[in-house]
Amino acid sequence: MGEVKIKVENIKKSFKVGENVIPVLFGIDFEIMRGEFCLLIGPSGCGKSTLLHSIYGLEPPTEGKIIIDGKDIWNYSKDWRAHFRNKNVGFIPQQAFWIKSLSVIENIAIPGVIAGASFHESIPKAAKLIELVGMSKWANHRPYDLSGGQQQRIALARSLLLDPQLIIADEPTGNLDHKAGEELMKLIEDINKQFGLTVVMVTHNPSQYCFGTRIINMEDGKIISNEVQERSKVITEKNEHNI
Amino acid sequence: MNIISKIKNSILDSIFNLFGKEREDIGVHMKFSVITLISYRNIAANKIRSFLTIGGVGIGIGIITFLISLGFGIQEMVIREITKNNPSNVIEVSNGSLENLITLNDETIDKIKNIEGVTRVERAVNIGVKFYSSDTKIDSVLYGYTRGYMEMANIRIKEGRTDFGDTEEKIFVTPKLAQLMGFSNPSDIIGKTVQYEVIISEDIVDKSNIENNREKEDIEIAGLINDDSNKNNSLFAVTMYDHLKEDFHLIGGQAGKVEVNIQADTNSVRSRIEQSGFSTESISDTVQDVNAFFNVIKIVMVVFGTIIMSISAMGMLNTLSVSLLQRTREVGILKALGAKRADVFKMFIFEAAIISFSGGILGFGLGYGAARGANLLFNYFAQKRGEDIVSFISVPFYFVIAIIAFVAFLGFATGIMPARRASKTHALDALRYE
Repeated sequence: MGEVKIKVENIKKSFKVGENVIPVLFGIDFEIMRGEFCLLIGPSGCGKSTLLHSIYGLEPPTEGKIIIDGKDIWNYSKDWRAHFRNKNVGFIPQQAFWIKSLSVIENIAIPGVIAGASFHESIPKAAKLIELVGMSKWANHRPYDLSGGQQQRIALARSLLLDPQLIIADEPTGNLDHKAGEELMKLIEDINKQFGLTVVMVTHNPSQYCFGTRIINMEDGKIISNEVQERSKVITEKNEHNI
Repeated sequence: MNIISKIKNSILDSIFNLFGKEREDIGVHMKFSVITLISYRNIAANKIRSFLTIGGVGIGIGIITFLISLGFGIQEMVIREITKNNPSNVIEVSNGSLENLITLNDETIDKIKNIEGVTRVERAVNIGVKFYSSDTKIDSVLYGYTRGYMEMANIRIKEGRTDFGDTEEKIFVTPKLAQLMGFSNPSDIIGKTVQYEVIISEDIVDKSNIENNREKEDIEIAGLINDDSNKNNSLFAVTMYDHLKEDFHLIGGQAGKVEVNIQADTNSVRSRIEQSGFSTESISDTVQDVNAFFNVIKIVMVVFGTIIMSISAMGMLNTLSVSLLQRTREVGILKALGAKRADVFKMFIFEAAIISFSGGILGFGLGYGAARGANLLFNYFAQKRGEDIVSFISVPFYFVIAIIAFVAFLGFATGIMPARRASKTHALDALRYE
């Protein structure tokens, strides 16, 4: 049995809209082991993104604990969580956001400069990562000049800058066509396998379920299944299916 | 991490350990150079908007600089002209009112000399004179000065010689007077002898030796008095006070100059002199009047400048608010990736500071340059008309400091609101912003 990377304990979340309190998560419990590729799946509005944002330290839960590497992240200050995110977690949003006035490579270097380094110090590492995602020739372009798929590759490179042990991805292929989505998923899978990173990703695209080693299925703010699957088995099944 | 941060962290760790608590590791803040670069890049990315905003601030600062340079420069020029021949430590003394006529005789001069702080007392007299040349009779004024008085009043000889005894019968005339005496080239009068006759008030002569309405006498013209300040149009003559004293038995003068040392209280000396019945004047009275006048002008300029700068400030605030709206998602992603509130706050404040300082430098350069240009243009036409060149542009050091302080305040005042809003924006709200 591996080491627990993320422990989610009885997470409840409700939003207040005017006078009404709308519950979204109803006591979520699960664990994710180090090195797992965990997919949060389920229909739209089931609460997967809310849960993901709570794990990432952006959305405070109404109740419960989120423990990452033994630390209850909601027990600390905002600045601590900001530093924790910057140092330990790579983030790929559904739609990549950029600092418009900076070039692609400078945008990849952003987590480094947030951590207190200069652009000069962060750009060599950014150059290696842009090569890893196969986008070197776009280094000096403006990010919004690139296609959606290309932008998500750059977002993946940005998420890896500070060598995080955890990647959080919120439907990163949601706005991509099938081919670009498939390519990005393969890239994330490669990185997950190559560097042993833990990946937590929200998706509701069934064709991507095969990439996960743990599938947490949610419905109406509750977990309806939490299954571990062998990657090799899944990939073999997928290949057979494709044949 | 630099040494100061390490020391700060170790002190904070010790304090937390003292209370048995673990200090949160919140990492370090973004580098100043990085924040400045990002702010600068954002300004550069919106060229037209940034140019218009910086231009607005620049025009405001430029107009203020132009007006202030002119205001201070003209004030300095006026004071310079007034004090050129009248140092501020010299008190003008005159012989009181007509009801209480008093002369600067040897006794009163000694009395003044004994006042604490007085270093020198010189006197002058003016009497009526008629000059006779060929068939012409010219009424004029003859001033009798001591050499010390001439030096203090900056009365200069244009041409001729001064190396003669103070009691010798020699006289200086203005070029105009020389011309009226029949010398079309005034220099030709030097060394010539003319006839003159003086009319002296009884109040300033020794009555026991009274010899008024004497016969005409001959006198040698020793030189020409410099009369450039009146464009050589004055009609007067100058001789040595001792010459008049000896020839016409003068007992005193009607006017004098009292020099006091720099540390002395001029007002106290003046009051002591006035107690003896004399009237006094100091150039500081005039300077005070001039300063009071220019202070009113400056207040008007400050009001005018405030109105202009308020418009510029509103433009800046608008630009920064629009910039924040356009960059809401940028703020969101920065915060999501771990930027702290303070870093986001600094980014917007620096942007405001860059706009305001760029506008300030541009405006100061343009305003000062325009003022210098106006001065050059004025001097060009003055020289063409044969006038002296003047400098009427001045920027006091404290005005430069005030401008720096003002642009810093402007940047802070207009940047604080958008910066606070940006730093308080929730990362998820910002990322969801449409």
